[in-house]
Amino acid sequence: METEDSSSENGLLHRKQALYSSLDSCFEIQKEMYRGQQYSQIYFARLHLMRTLLYSLLPNWKPHIHVCTVIGLEEGKECIIVGTLYKHMKLKPSILEEYSKERSATPLVRPHNFMHPDDHLILEDESGRIKVCGDVLLPSVYVTGVVVALHGKETGTGDFWVEDVMEAGIPHQIERPIKSGEDKYVIFVSGLDIGSSTSNPLKFQLLVDHITGHLGDKKEQSIAAKIVRVIIAGNSVEIPRGLLNGQNLGSKDQFTLSEPIKELDIQLTQIAAGIPVDIMPGPNDPANFSLPQQPLHRCLFPSSSAYNTFRSCPNPHLFQLDDVSLLGTSGQNIDDLEKYSDANDKLEFLERTLRWRHVAPTAPNTLGCYPFTDRDPFFVETCPHVYFVGNQEKYETRLIKGAEGQIVRLICIPRFSETGVAVVLNLRNLECHALSFGTEFG
Amino acid sequence: MATSKSDMKGFFKQKKKSGGITKAKAKSSSTKKSLSPKRSATYGSDITQPAALISHGFPDIENDYDEKEEVLRQFDMNMAYGPCLGMSRLARWERAKSLGMNPPEDIGHLLKAGKVGAECLWEGRV
Repeated sequence: METEDSSSENGLLHRKQALYSSLDSCFEIQKEMYRGQQYSQIYFARLHLMRTLLYSLLPNWKPHIHVCTVIGLEEGKECIIVGTLYKHMKLKPSILEEYSKERSATPLVRPHNFMHPDDHLILEDESGRIKVCGDVLLPSVYVTGVVVALHGKETGTGDFWVEDVMEAGIPHQIERPIKSGEDKYVIFVSGLDIGSSTSNPLKFQLLVDHITGHLGDKKEQSIAAKIVRVIIAGNSVEIPRGLLNGQNLGSKDQFTLSEPIKELDIQLTQIAAGIPVDIMPGPNDPANFSLPQQPLHRCLFPSSSAYNTFRSCPNPHLFQLDDVSLLGTSGQNIDDLEKYSDANDKLEFLERTLRWRHVAPTAPNTLGCYPFTDRDPFFVETCPHVYFVGNQEKYETRLIKGAEGQIVRLICIPRFSETGVAVVLNLRNLECHALSFGTEFG
Repeated sequence: MATSKSDMKGFFKQKKKSGGITKAKAKSSSTKKSLSPKRSATYGSDITQPAALISHGFPDIENDYDEKEEVLRQFDMNMAYGPCLGMSRLARWERAKSLGMNPPEDIGHLLKAGKVGAECLWEGRV
């Protein structure tokens, strides 16, 4: 695809295009065969992958300290151990509590945060596990599943006193060629929730009309012509689950059940007719539950999938537009982090996952995940230029810098049905702004 | 190695062909329908009193696995290559290879040749 100028010829505005390549092959599970394996395999793959990486970074961090495994620890001897963190949480819901006869007064499941001041961290590798103590490694920051290197020593009580911690850090980023180029915009939207009581069809129609250039004057249309792609980051429909009560559905109920998807298909056809669109599944969409969520099936979109601009993508989604690499999820990974750790804002969670080099560290502990045996697809190989998460409460964005000069634009995409806000990203300079649609007057 | 039957004929009393550690054959159970279910489990089998224990005096502890299986079991138990359950031995060996752990090549050849157990000892049992 060549980039075209958006100058008008014969009064016609041409839409700009950007070279797209999808790097989602690691998230596809069609070739995987479930052979009864448990999650120990994915944890082993993750530990081995990240430990090899951390061992290579140790000479730059603390070259003279002895490295050993948990079982090789000697009391009082300073050393470095590398392993997976496990956070023991008192309030974390456990299925076994349902069977215990003594139940505490607190309810079994709390929807919000499960943190407690008594939470502590344990470091684990194949040889053993050891409780971690000290002020350096805060249990409120870390979650189960993060692989770190700890410098410290074993105490008399059998705990490991941490003096310093090293995370994998932001990975290497492929530098973008510095050229002024032209403005090309990508629109991010999530949480359309078509079919729910909170979604306003007029708001989404306004968004579609703006993108396709049916709104506004020549100036407005020329801005819209610079939009090269639309990314829909999950929760596009809300299926009326009240109808699903375990019995066979009558034809009227079946019709009601499929209405939201049909409406979404109609809207997507309008978009796909004029601009490439990527749709990712979210927690409420008709896709599989565990990560990586597979692309929504083409049969759900009979009319929009006829266009080659329509693309159904997995969650998480990794792709490249021109020379900008973008990685993002529909929100499950960050929402899970919010339940089990603490931060000032959602962007801080995003930044942490990038510094831990793992998109979803709580999978498979508290986040549903496919039991891979030989790889961990959530490991971040190269640093993306844009890292987004969908279905958040509000629009937030920040530009972070890594130690090697990496620059990443972090974006929290708000739920469109609640806020009416979509996010616009300029590929040229990674600047971001919000596009909000309202339907009330005054 | 299990000793071949031809040497043992002189030592052991000859037992019925349906003896040894085998289930009761379907043919016999259909002709003897009057047998109570409790007795049919041990009908025709010496599972409670195997022939070797009675006549020989010492138990034959060598099961029918050879040194190839022994090597593979050591490979299964090696912590460096990760958990052995839930993966076939060849898949685990391939994973070790792709993760750069340099597993011994002869184990790879042994697994690819076939003829040896594809799964670890506990597969399907745990």
